[in-house]
Amino acid sequence: MTQSAQNKKPVIHLQNVSKRFGANTVVDDVTLTVGEGEVAAIIGPSGAGKSTLLRCINLLERPDSGCITVCDTLVNAGEQIGAKELALLRRNAGMVFQSFNLFPHLTVLRNVSLAQERVLGRGRKEADEVSATLLDRVGLADKADEYPNRCSGGQQQRIAIARALALEPKVMLFDEPTSALDPELGLEVLAVMKELAVEGMTMVVVTHEMQFARDVGDHLIVMAEGAILEEGPPEEIFSAPRHGRTRQFLSAVLER
Amino acid sequence: MHMFLTIFAGVPTTLLITVASLALGMLGGIPLVLGRRSRFRALRMVSRFLIETLRGIPPLVWLFLIFFGFGSSMTWMTALMASIFGLGLISCAYMAEIYRGGLSAISAGQWEAAEALGMNHRSVLSKVIGPQVFRVSIPAAATYGIGLLKDSSVAFTIGVTDILFRATAQSYQTRDALTPFLIAGLVYIIITIPSAWGSRWLDARLKNRVAR
Amino acid sequence: MSFFAAWDSWFPTLLNGLWVSVRVAGLSLLLGLPAGLLLALGSSTKRRPVRWLVIGLVELGRGMPALVMLQIVYFGLPSAGLTLSAFVSAAIAFALTTAAYTSEILRGGLQAVPAGEVEAAEALGMARRDTLRFIVIPQGVRIAIPPLMGFAILIFQVTSLAYTIALPELTSQAYSIGSSSFRYTSVFVLAALLYLAVTIPTSFLTERVENRLARHL
Repeated sequence: MTQSAQNKKPVIHLQNVSKRFGANTVVDDVTLTVGEGEVAAIIGPSGAGKSTLLRCINLLERPDSGCITVCDTLVNAGEQIGAKELALLRRNAGMVFQSFNLFPHLTVLRNVSLAQERVLGRGRKEADEVSATLLDRVGLADKADEYPNRCSGGQQQRIAIARALALEPKVMLFDEPTSALDPELGLEVLAVMKELAVEGMTMVVVTHEMQFARDVGDHLIVMAEGAILEEGPPEEIFSAPRHGRTRQFLSAVLER
Repeated sequence: MHMFLTIFAGVPTTLLITVASLALGMLGGIPLVLGRRSRFRALRMVSRFLIETLRGIPPLVWLFLIFFGFGSSMTWMTALMASIFGLGLISCAYMAEIYRGGLSAISAGQWEAAEALGMNHRSVLSKVIGPQVFRVSIPAAATYGIGLLKDSSVAFTIGVTDILFRATAQSYQTRDALTPFLIAGLVYIIITIPSAWGSRWLDARLKNRVAR
Repeated sequence: MSFFAAWDSWFPTLLNGLWVSVRVAGLSLLLGLPAGLLLALGSSTKRRPVRWLVIGLVELGRGMPALVMLQIVYFGLPSAGLTLSAFVSAAIAFALTTAAYTSEILRGGLQAVPAGEVEAAEALGMARRDTLRFIVIPQGVRIAIPPLMGFAILIFQVTSLAYTIALPELTSQAYSIGSSSFRYTSVFVLAALLYLAVTIPTSFLTERVENRLARHL
């Protein structure tokens, strides 16, 4: 977990990526590499463009300039991307959202199986077996036949993680996964995320959970006003931040 | 085209029926909604029953009931009056429901503030809540009014010389059954468009004077 | 002569008329609702020409009174070479009106499905068609059920307009009895009661369905 980034094969590479909403530049010329097995944690004040950057990786937001590479799929901003390439990219990058976004009209099992059937072409039986295994892995095997609204927030988020894992992605993207949960429920989710990291999953996590970033993260990225302020091993940045802005943010967050 | 103008000449009558019925409905809806929200259970039930009955019977049947039924003994009743009266009655029920929606949309704080100032129930209703309900209800009432404009076409069945009546007359005269009705449809569409814009403009102007 | 005299002899005829009204309403809904769903999907598509066309059709269908639509189909189409029976004309004309109005109701339902779920489906790599089929439409239609039921009640009342094309539905039957017996008030009150016998229970049912659906999602 603490190997240097240069030894690893890059799984995600963003080159000079920018995104504007109207007159607002939300992501400003960002270049970033995430290596295989790395856990990259993106932190920073609100409005720093963290979520937007994350969403550019799987093209939920289309960048205005720059290029994005996920595994072997390269996308240039401004160019049309073929449906097949897009599907491949999204299969390789799983995403977990702040508001879980489970499908309330389907059972928990179906939530995890549906994309397997439609995207990977698995048969129902096979998909359900995989789903059951994954639900067991996140500790929710007994909830398979329940509907999401009968589950707590922490349980729903773990189901969302299982749903994303079902497609066997090479990298998992987390967009503030615990921000909508009370601290106790958030712990269950962080535990699952930690396990994933230990097993070697490449992860990019936008988060406010500094403890997680410090304990589990290998590569800390501090963003403000759309640009990367600093990046490097979390311990270094937390103990000796180079930029004043970083210091300002960290003092507000760490000494609450 | 001559045919277009003849058919278009029915517009004033159509508008008259619509506006008169809507006005009747906006007035008559008030006692109905007050009854619906009354403290007395009997009054609530009677109001609810009246509203469901008025809304549950087709407008055409109401017109026939009033014009051929009750109206046969009232020789002074013209087809136009029967139409306005019938559609007006139905509008009372729909407006009452619109007012009811509007009443629940006004924040409870308004009631509390007015009563805390010592105003009695009736004054609160007429001076504070009433005007706000009126303004909140305008979009829904305008939408209803546009629907009413189209429903007013039933009046042609009892001989009122509105747009559809004239179109039907033209179809007999010219032996062309398709064109007059297409024109009639076009005329209805033409007159509903400005009404839709007008209601949006009115709503935007009055929106700021309501506390939700 | 009592007000209620002959009600027992009128009842069977009026009941037949009621049955015709119900069948016309049912057929209009059966034909119009799927068309309404297609129009609703069409009005939210990204391809502009399709969207403009669909919105134009919907506004046309909504701006034209159902009564005028009926005259066009029954009296007007024969001039263009297509002659249909009164029953079929009524069903088609009202189906067109149904499609136009329900497309707006369904569009509202489809839009009410949380955007986050659509994003999640996108992030999973699901094709747009699959997202619509498995996520958006099932939930959107469900949300639209109470207003659709309200609309069904209205369409049932609209069938009374088929009186103008001599379809033997409830209002026409009542009118013929009235014109031969001159007891218009009496027969129309009975007809009104028959209409209420369908509309009021359906209204109550709609309210109950609305409350139940609000609890689950």
